[in-house]
Amino acid sequence: MKKILYVAGREFTSTVTTKGFVFGILVTPLLLGLVIFLMPRYLTKAPPKVEGQVVIIDPTGVVAESLAAHLTPERFAERREKTKRDLENATPSVFRRQAAALPSGEAAIRQSIDTALGEVPRLQVLPLPGGTSVEPEKEALKIALPKPGTGPAPRLAVIVVRPDAVRPAEGTDTFGSYELFVRNKLDDRLVDDLHSGMRDAIVAARLRESGLDPARIKNLTSVQRPGSRTVTAEGERTTNSVLNMLLPMAFMILLLMSVLTSGQYLLTSTVEEKSNRVVEVLLSAVSAMELMTGKILGQMAVGLLVLALYAGLGVIALVSFATFGLIDPLLLVFLLIFYVLAYFTFASLMAAVGSAVNEMREAQSLQMPIMMVLMIPWILWLPISREPNSMLAIVLSFVPPLGNFVMLLRMTSQSPPPMWQAWLSIAVGAAGAYASLWFAAKVFRVGMLMYGKPPSFGTLIRWARMS
Amino acid sequence: MGHAIVLKNLKKTFGETVAVRDLDLTVPEGALYGVIGPNGAGKTTMIRMILSILFPDHGELTVLGRPSALEAKDRIGYLPEERGLYKKMRVGDFLVYMARLKSLDGNVSQRVKEWLGRVDLADCEQKRCEDLSKGMQQKVQFVAAVIHRPDLLILDEPFGGLDPVNQRLMRDLVLEEHRRGATVLFSTHIMTHAEQLCDHVVMIHRGEKVLDQTMAGIRETFDPHRIFFVPLDPDSDIAKLRAIPGVRSVTPDGSAWDVALDGHANAASVIPALVTAVTPSRVEIRRPTLEDVFVSIVTGDASTAVDDDARLRAALRVGGQEVQR
Repeated sequence: MKKILYVAGREFTSTVTTKGFVFGILVTPLLLGLVIFLMPRYLTKAPPKVEGQVVIIDPTGVVAESLAAHLTPERFAERREKTKRDLENATPSVFRRQAAALPSGEAAIRQSIDTALGEVPRLQVLPLPGGTSVEPEKEALKIALPKPGTGPAPRLAVIVVRPDAVRPAEGTDTFGSYELFVRNKLDDRLVDDLHSGMRDAIVAARLRESGLDPARIKNLTSVQRPGSRTVTAEGERTTNSVLNMLLPMAFMILLLMSVLTSGQYLLTSTVEEKSNRVVEVLLSAVSAMELMTGKILGQMAVGLLVLALYAGLGVIALVSFATFGLIDPLLLVFLLIFYVLAYFTFASLMAAVGSAVNEMREAQSLQMPIMMVLMIPWILWLPISREPNSMLAIVLSFVPPLGNFVMLLRMTSQSPPPMWQAWLSIAVGAAGAYASLWFAAKVFRVGMLMYGKPPSFGTLIRWARMS
Repeated sequence: MGHAIVLKNLKKTFGETVAVRDLDLTVPEGALYGVIGPNGAGKTTMIRMILSILFPDHGELTVLGRPSALEAKDRIGYLPEERGLYKKMRVGDFLVYMARLKSLDGNVSQRVKEWLGRVDLADCEQKRCEDLSKGMQQKVQFVAAVIHRPDLLILDEPFGGLDPVNQRLMRDLVLEEHRRGATVLFSTHIMTHAEQLCDHVVMIHRGEKVLDQTMAGIRETFDPHRIFFVPLDPDSDIAKLRAIPGVRSVTPDGSAWDVALDGHANAASVIPALVTAVTPSRVEIRRPTLEDVFVSIVTGDASTAVDDDARLRAALRVGGQEVQR
């Protein structure tokens, strides 16, 4: 047993210390994780405080005033607050807890707006009559920004409203729009605010022009869109359709990726030992079975590291988007179980293939059928995640190498199978893993010392029968 | 004294080919045995069966008193013919790993350092195995085989690929292990190595044991009864020697004469007569070389039908190619 652990230890360290592993498997996801972790923080960060002047050349005479009302600091703060709440309302379950922590009630909202007031842009809207020449006004946009707090407020934007923006020109039905000129490197969120302000102002002006009440129209046209709620025997919960699709996929990718990575490393290291001729030295110290077991365990640790890394990353992502409550932690346990089963099944076949060939090149053709089997879950992903309890899904849950993947898909879906099916699938999967190990052990013992013509799959089966 | 290795009736076939047939062998503890034979004779197969890396089709074997080497792995050191190292691993790490696999406890890295010093590789501990020359790698592999002080040391072609200086170093190391008390069994296809080293020779040809004797015994049995004679005066009369009793024939061989004696004649009594008859510049009793012994055994065996004696000898000396049938 001690020897097996030594073999496993060497296998693990020699794999995870290679440059390929460190860069490919560790650094990439860590960078990705950093991005996922930092993104929401960056997105919710308030834009820098801006002060300045917005010139609006308004021949219609009715738009400038509405725009000025739209761009007051109070309105900015209100809008920010509303966006924040909308955003949080869109994220279900766990958010509810956070929402409770947020101040509620009119007074609290007022207060929250007041705090926000300190951070919003302070814009002066300077209306100019129609016919003002645009070019001289634009000149001020080119002047460098003064230091904050010193000098006059810099000019940030020039808006030119078309004369027919509110009332169509004689004999036509189409309305004109406006032009927006902004200073270089102006915060794009401010530009968005200017656009939305102009849009609102022009729409309101047009409505009034047609004798309609803008506030009433707004009320009439807004329908709040509620999230759908899934009703089950256990109760109701909010439906999150995106996550419903993503979750099974994420779990399957995790499972496939970790199995593939560690299986591939096992194949490579077995072929390496054989082509290096180091195997006979090893076999004088440990038995073939000990060697194979040690290698399989060592690479399993590699796979677990990959799995933990990526699953951990997923969890971090969910936590940082405040949606961890969507995953049942038990699913992570099942992910682990199915990983171990799927890994043993595939890794032992990989070890068998590795022991049979002389070089990596020869391994390709023998590896093909195994890889094909690994591809099947990809093909099945869509039909099974759509209908997790179809006959196909149920039957495949109990077909050894596939069952591990199919069952995990079904368990992460919105209508998980009964628990007895999960346990039965695990039992069948374990039997499959054992059979595959048994086969591999036989092939491994013969194959490791066999040099020469690379065998076919049929030869491998004959070796297994022979020994 | 017990026996380190006992083989009885061992047989192993690979498909149609019989690699080893009906092999019996007993190696006493503390002995230094050489297994010789051309490539493809079955030496490696025999060694692999002794180590339970391969399993015989039938027959029995006992290694260090156990029915299988698997039960005595930690007491056996093995340097395989097909040997290699982990390319990317550091020399020191590799040796520590091998020692641990051999259940060596305690201060393993200290022992590794000592051994690397003994084989002139003290500065290579931190080097990667792939950066060593072939000869250096071989020394590292030898260290891996002996680092746990095995009771039985099995070396498959230990001298292959070494330059003369390192061959000598290797020979000294093997002898040292032997003096320490280890039973040593090594195989080679280069007969002179066996002659220099071992006190007992086992010869294998086409899977069968054809000789199993001590070096002294071999010299006796295969004494060619010939004397190497170089006359001081090249024009001396060859007939003078032919007339001496006990001399069967004298054939000139370049500047020397090859004196063959009768089967019963004693070189000790013939030589004084030779020397008085013709003054020699050099007289020497011909020793049987293992090469001669091997060739005489193989060619003497009608069933093997080796017709080309010279080719066989060449194969034994160079050893690069298998003897073609």
